[in-house]
Amino acid sequence: MPRCDLRGRKQSFSTTPMDADSDVALDILITNVVCVFRTRCHLNLRKIALEGANVIYKRDVGKVLMKLRKPRITATIWSSGKIICTGATSEEEAKFGARRLARSLQKLGFQVIFTDFKVVNVLAVCNMPFEIRLPEFTKNNRPHASYEPELHPAVCYRIKSLRATLQIFSTGSITVTGPNVKAVATAVEQIYPFVFESRKEIL
Amino acid sequence: MASTSRLDALPRVTCPNHPDAILVEDYRAGDMICPECGLVVGDRVIDVGSEWRTFSNDKATKDPSRVGDSQNPLLSDGDLSTMIGKGTGAASFDEFGNSKYQNRRTMSSSDRAMMNAFKEITTMADRINLPRNIVDRTNNLFKQVYEQKSLKGRANDAIASACLYIACRQEGVPRTFKEICAVSRISKKEIGRCFKLILKALETSVDLITTGDFMSRFCSNLCLPKQVQMAATHIARKAVELDLVPGRSPISVAAAAIYMASQASAEKRTQKEIGDIAGVADVTIRQSYRLIYPRAPDLFPADFKFDTPVDKLPQL
Repeated sequence: MPRCDLRGRKQSFSTTPMDADSDVALDILITNVVCVFRTRCHLNLRKIALEGANVIYKRDVGKVLMKLRKPRITATIWSSGKIICTGATSEEEAKFGARRLARSLQKLGFQVIFTDFKVVNVLAVCNMPFEIRLPEFTKNNRPHASYEPELHPAVCYRIKSLRATLQIFSTGSITVTGPNVKAVATAVEQIYPFVFESRKEIL
Repeated sequence: MASTSRLDALPRVTCPNHPDAILVEDYRAGDMICPECGLVVGDRVIDVGSEWRTFSNDKATKDPSRVGDSQNPLLSDGDLSTMIGKGTGAASFDEFGNSKYQNRRTMSSSDRAMMNAFKEITTMADRINLPRNIVDRTNNLFKQVYEQKSLKGRANDAIASACLYIACRQEGVPRTFKEICAVSRISKKEIGRCFKLILKALETSVDLITTGDFMSRFCSNLCLPKQVQMAATHIARKAVELDLVPGRSPISVAAAAIYMASQASAEKRTQKEIGDIAGVADVTIRQSYRLIYPRAPDLFPADFKFDTPVDKLPQL
């Protein structure tokens, strides 16, 4: 069973090994964390667009994009007070960025209350040390895996219990999306034995 | 004698001697007969026999004792509506030249969309000469999807195209998305999306496509002889077995195999021609060809007659 290290955080999820022979450390790199929060007050988008720094006003859609530098984050601000924050590389960073954003809105004069912070989506990338035979993998994992080479070169594997989706490429690289970081790590651990079965042996 | 013995709901006629007896209907003569004593109770009830005689040597294509179009009970839920025809002769036209009685369209409104879709499916299938069994399967799939209503927001044409794709796959003669795209007005992206949604809605899955499924079609379109086709099939199959082309679409591998086989034979085809037929870009064929070129001697079948020997194959 692999020991998954989530880069960006100094903790490694150690799992109980099912087959104790291979203890491979897999690096799961979190590339994107998407979160939402509410400011509990109506926001005047025009004011933010005029006075705020680093903003893009999309008037046709009705939202403002604000990009922060320090945690590299792009936030979509709606006038209802709901804000979507993307681009963070960890859950903590997402929270810092969201708070920083709320603070900058507060400085502009709005009565911001930071509520309902929730991480909605986490995107991570993982690299297997071997290549994978996709047709074989699909045959062995019939209902969960779907492979359409004409549409997309990867196998799309959905784990319903974790609400996670994995895209498995033939080079061994796997893209995972899930509701939080823990689900993503669990998903990789779950998929490892199946992927290991259908690996391509290096001659 | 009688065909149906149904419960006489309206107790208008009963046999005078046996009031409890259920009357039996003789459709031929139009009689209601009491089964107990044989008394003919009703007389000249509507006769459902044919109106005129037909002789078997008549060789007429129409059967005069049949009325209306052939029913499609599996699909349309009963098609017993009447359409007003266009009208022949002078009397059917107004003073301005418009036809009197224009409205001939209101029929089976509940299934109109479905019937339109069936027509569209038949048209699409006609364009690529698909046999009737695939069209029937497509119609069935469409009906199932339509009744489920889970894809209600999607364009019917998109769902129809996706059903056609799935039907071809299920029958073992898959068509590429690009081929379906060519006969449909829907984009490949939308057909692909509907395809995945339909598989989820109907909870079915389809087999993976293999290179061999397309060989006969592509090779016939390129007018390649049988040996070349068999060689190409062998090359493609071997290439996939040896996993020389990981991550490549089977169509691209098939196209590259056809290129290699045709270049080794007397009937050479350019990458552009093959790309045109297969719907693959010629750079893609070039990429896949580069992957299979190193192992070319192993991929050819043992009994292949080389017009151009293996080492003289073009290297791209």
